[in-house]
Parts: sequence; C-alpha cells; structure tokens
Amino acid sequence: MVAYIVYLQQIPELLHKWSSSYDVYVPTRVEEHFYEFRPWQEKTHIAWDYDLAYSPLKVFFMPPREDLIHFDLHNYTASPVIKKTRQLLFGVHPYDIKAINQLDQLMGMDGVDVNYQNLRDNTVIFGLEPARVAETAFWAGVDAARVDFGFDLFWTRISPGAFLVRVGSAQGEEMLKMGSSITSATAAEKEAARRIHLRAAARADKQGLGFTWTQVPEFMNKFYSRKLYWREKAKTCLSCGSCNLVCPTCYCFDIQDETDDHLKQGKRYRQWDGCMLEGFSRIAGGLNFRPNPWERYRHRYMRKGKYIFDRIGELGCVGCGRCVKACTAKIANPKVVFSEIREAIKNEA
Amino acid sequence: MAVKPKVAFFDFAGCEGDQLQVANLEERLLDILAHIEVVSFREIKTEHSDDYDIAFVEGSITRPEDEKRLKEIRENAGILVALGACATIGGINCLKNFINESEYRSTVYGSSARWYSTYASRPLSAVVPVDMDIHGCPIDKNEFATAVKELLLGKIYTPPDYPVCAECKMAGNICRYEQGQLCLGIVTRAGCKACCVTEGSFCWGCRGMAPEANLDAAARIMEDHGFTRLNAQDRLRLYFGCTDRAFNPG
Repeated sequence: MVAYIVYLQQIPELLHKWSSSYDVYVPTRVEEHFYEFRPWQEKTHIAWDYDLAYSPLKVFFMPPREDLIHFDLHNYTASPVIKKTRQLLFGVHPYDIKAINQLDQLMGMDGVDVNYQNLRDNTVIFGLEPARVAETAFWAGVDAARVDFGFDLFWTRISPGAFLVRVGSAQGEEMLKMGSSITSATAAEKEAARRIHLRAAARADKQGLGFTWTQVPEFMNKFYSRKLYWREKAKTCLSCGSCNLVCPTCYCFDIQDETDDHLKQGKRYRQWDGCMLEGFSRIAGGLNFRPNPWERYRHRYMRKGKYIFDRIGELGCVGCGRCVKACTAKIANPKVVFSEIREAIKNEA
Repeated sequence: MAVKPKVAFFDFAGCEGDQLQVANLEERLLDILAHIEVVSFREIKTEHSDDYDIAFVEGSITRPEDEKRLKEIRENAGILVALGACATIGGINCLKNFINESEYRSTVYGSSARWYSTYASRPLSAVVPVDMDIHGCPIDKNEFATAVKELLLGKIYTPPDYPVCAECKMAGNICRYEQGQLCLGIVTRAGCKACCVTEGSFCWGCRGMAPEANLDAAARIMEDHGFTRLNAQDRLRLYFGCTDRAFNPG
C-alpha cells in the first residue's frame, strides 16, 4: 500500500493547485448539524468531522435536472448534450464511495448511461475516514464501513495536524505530488491510520444491523406477500419521494421535452423521479402498476433489500441514513424494516 | 404558418397578480405573441373581442352572477384555462367561507353591504369544466410559458402531482420540519420548484393539495413536531379553504 503524509497546513496549497483544473467540492457546515459538499474557496472552512452530507453525492453525476438532447423542430435534427465537467470531491466517506461504486455498476449495465459516465469519468474522488457517525446511519451493518476501490486517494486524520493518504489511483498520486515536500508514510503512521479506522468502525458497529446483512435478501423474499405488514408501515406515507431522492443509490429519472419560446428549438431533459411517487408507475391509458402507497413502499424496500442484490450481489442500501432523516413521517428506515422482518421470521420459525 | 389561435384573458375575484405575472414575461411575451393573437387582456390592452379559442381565467367565483359570465366564457372558448390559485382551488378568497356571512359582508362593504351580492368563494371548476390548470399564488411565469407552448404544440400541460418535498430535495433544501417549522409542502402540489422554501420561507400551500396527499399522515407529523390543531388549521385555511363546507354551511 502506497501512502503519504500530508500536514494540515499543506492542504491549502494543494487545493489551490487542484482548483485550477477541477471544480473542487468539500464538506462544509451549512447550519448547525447540517453539512453539504460545497465549492471550495479560499475562505471555505472544511468540516473534517462532518457526519453526513445532507444531499446525496449522486448530484455530481446525475444532477436533479440535466439536458440530454438539443433538437430542432424545423429540420428534425438532434444532437446529444454531454457534460464533462472536471470535478474533485474531497472528503467522501466510505459508504458514499460504496454508493458511487454501485451506481457505476448499475449505470453501466445493459448499455452505458453516457451522461452519467462522462461526469463520472471526469470526477476525482478523495475519500475520508469518518470522524463521526450520523445518528441515523447504520453503514457498519451493511458492509459499507470500508471500501477497497472507488477512490483516487483516501485520507485518514491520524493526528490533529496530519493525514495519512492512501493512494487509490495513479491520477490521485500525481495530484498529491503537486504539493511540495509530501513525504511517504512510515510503518508506524500506517499502523496509526489502521487503528483510527478500527476505532471508527467500532463506533459505527454500535449502530449496525445486529445481524449479518447477507440474510436480508432471503428475509425480504419471504416477506413480500405480507400485505398487512406493508400496509401498516405505509399508512402514514406521504408519497413525497423524499426517501428516493436523497438515496445515494436511487437513480430513476423521468424524461421530458421542452421547446424554446420561438417553437423552433428544444431540449430533452431528464429529472429525478422515484418509485414512491404515485405517477412513477402510471403508464399510458392511466393504468398504474402500484397505485397504493403500501405497494410503492414495499417495492422500494424490495429494491434495497433484494432486487439490487440479485443483480450485483450487494444490498441497494449503504446505510447512510439519509432517508431516515428525510422522511417527515419517520417511516423510511431500512434498518428498522430489515430488523422487524428478521424478527418476525425468527418468531415464526 | 397556421392561423394563430386567439387568446383572451378574464378575471373574477382576485388581485390580477397572475395576469401581471404574464405581463412580467416581458421580452419572452413578445416571442410567444408571435404564435398567438391576444384579443382581450385588460391589463395590457384596451380592445376586447368575444371571438377567441383559448380563455385564461383568473380569480374565484364569489357571486351568483359570476356564474353566468363564466358560463358565457366557457361557451365561447375551445379551451378554458384556470389561471392561478383563486381560479384553480378557490384561493385565498375562501378564507371568507369560514366566517359568518353577515360578518364578512359588513367588514368588506360596511353600511352598503345590502347593495352587494356574495356567496361562498369557489374555484372555476365548481361552475364549469376546466381543461387545464396553471397553479400558484401567483403563477410562475415560466410555468405559464411552458403551458402555453404545450398548448401550441397540441398538448395539455399537466402539472406535477407529487408533493413539494420532492422539489425541495432536488433543490437541496433542508427540510423545514428539521428546523422546527410548520410547512405545507408535505401535502401541496409541486411545480413551483419549491421556490418559497428555497428563498428561506416555508410552503404556504398555494398550489393546492396534491391529488394523493395523505392528510392523516400530515396531521400526525404536525402534531409530532409540536404544532397544535389551531396552528395547522390557520395555515391550511389560507389556501386549502375550498372544502365541502363552503357549499353546505351550517
């Protein structure tokens, strides 16, 4: 493992250099208890100890609204719109990196999503060992406390003034070496980083699932037909889609066309959509596959607990806890749903 | 080029703020006017004609005699569009539906109250069939432009049917309930891009209830966050005031 040591006071110089070729985003405190990735500027105070970014990081790869095609109504021509903004996300936690890794797989399956892929290919990711665990998070329970790939550099704060930086890609290493006098890490420093990780993981473990996540798909499968359970859970569902939209692994979208005021040219854009919204599964003729909130609620948990697992072998949930926070009705909580279902099945056996 | 559709604007009880939003399109309005012929629009021109294809109607219906005029407009127009909250959901005028009639009559008209007729305020759709709604108080001028362009392309614009929460998530807003504020976004139809929340306020509910709104859930959420029934009622009546009670007082 190649690793370097970077001191806190060396970081502004590096950020300056990086920001000349990348749009740099860092975690910042937007108000008490709330953090977001925001563009880095000279005076930006980086929240190294943030617990969770309020918005999912998918905004950087598939923005809430994104143009796909520009077309001409008169000569019937169309051309793709593909953005290749060079971005650097500095300070991404492992569970969010895992979510991005998952999106990479899903957006590349059965034909590549070129809009996603181009933004993704132009984005550099610097991971960061979490210093705190959000109250609603359970990432340690769903195998998301640690990632082995998906980052260009991975930063661990081993002392108030120093970071151990693991190298994940040649590009990451190159960017790190733009700084003056960056030294290699010693064995002792690597050990310090390992311990910090273990300590963070132990803290997070206290908010785990309480059982191994690999059992979840089977439980979900068994519980699919328990309408009473799903109905009861979804009774206070607002069908607002908040859980979908803040989910770092939800990627569904709707496509619409819009013309300019001259009715000559137009654009086709996509916008975030979610399976919890009533119109999501409505088709031509007004038919709806999932007209009831409980059917939509069940579908979402089947996606997170089983369907994604069936495709790529991991849960569609990284335990970030964003949906738990975002749900005003307080019914969106994968940890609670998975645990309740496990408990029920155990009691029946 | 095809014949330009003739367009007319009308207003009933309302502040004409929605027509002002149309006028606020400024240069964009000129581009759109290349495709339509405005035959009546008292806020920006003096001429009037009863020969029109599309009628944009603002305001709510608050007097029996309004019904006759609205029915005439419906008769003349191929497409009738309700413009703004007063027209689509009865709007803020419905506040009076919760007040004793003699009380609001004397408050508004004083000693001349008996000269004027009035009844429970209601949206256009309570009187005539409406083909298309442009929601909001006031309407979003961009949404108006989009809706007009859709009409010109032979489509009926359908506004979003999900709650404002979805648009807050897209805008990256921190939930007002997390900040301890009362917000109607959880039951209000989106389409405004959550503009009030984005600008620092909360959702007032001006686009009316989302078709699938879960009011029982909303009641529980408001209660759980420490708001009283009266807090909720005051907020809800501002725009969600057109209920059955308006037509069955007692």
